[in-house]
Amino acid sequence: MSGDHHNTDDSGPAARVKALEALLTEKGLLNPAAIDAIVDTYETRVGPRNGARVVAKAWTDPAYRKRLLADATSAVAELGFAGPEGGHLVAVENTDRIHNLVVCTLCSCYPWPVLGLPPVWYKSFAYRSRAVSDPRGVLEDFGLELSRDVEIRVWDSSAEIRYLVIPQRPKGTAKMSEGELAAIVTRDSMVGVAKVEAPRV
Amino acid sequence: MSDAALNELIAAARLDRDHVFSAPWEARAFAIALQLSQAGHFTWDEFRDRLIAEVRASDRIRARDGTSDHGEYYDHFLHALERLLEEKGLAH
Repeated sequence: MSGDHHNTDDSGPAARVKALEALLTEKGLLNPAAIDAIVDTYETRVGPRNGARVVAKAWTDPAYRKRLLADATSAVAELGFAGPEGGHLVAVENTDRIHNLVVCTLCSCYPWPVLGLPPVWYKSFAYRSRAVSDPRGVLEDFGLELSRDVEIRVWDSSAEIRYLVIPQRPKGTAKMSEGELAAIVTRDSMVGVAKVEAPRV
Repeated sequence: MSDAALNELIAAARLDRDHVFSAPWEARAFAIALQLSQAGHFTWDEFRDRLIAEVRASDRIRARDGTSDHGEYYDHFLHALERLLEEKGLAH
């Protein structure tokens, strides 16, 4: 879209990125192979499957759940999840009475090691501007209607603190293994805009 | 305000749930910023400060005009990166 407040360049973003990459590579500041590796990592390897494993373990291992709530950064590192933008992770747990919702009102802070990079809607003005002022309305837009007696807690992420929502384990999943449970935990449920549904029998 | 915009984004997210980049250049811009910060040319916090400034400027325009913001985040990201490289004298 236009309405641009910048006037420093006229070329499209793809061309600008290409030029930047060529220049920085020529100066020896960038390694193009490492660029490919980073893209591959964040497109395919670091993502919400990591967080889903954390949640499934917390559901099935009470001692782990306790450690996760006490110090999420260390608890996710136990499963091998660490890296940029993962420090100072806080896990917040949904219950029958409390529903947690995560936003970053300033930009896009998000717990990369457990959820990967944020989805488009998380970075949108509409979400960032409404999650704090009208969380119930936002959840309804996502198709999640909570009973009026459920308290919604909104957590505004920052450079200092990132949040991971531990959704409620759905009923009817008592016989499922940790691995099977991990498969039903969605990214949206770990941001707080959805519940985890039990698989249909 | 932008309920329609949010609903549009939610619909898009449902179609392609784990989609984080909408074009290859977005992924490369992200990777360039991350690699340069990991190599110590700047800290991620320095980069984030510029990104927040870009996002804030754009938010002000949107709050005023009520315009939609589909897929513009990486435009801000790229501007923030270009500005930081300029400030650090790395862009010449």
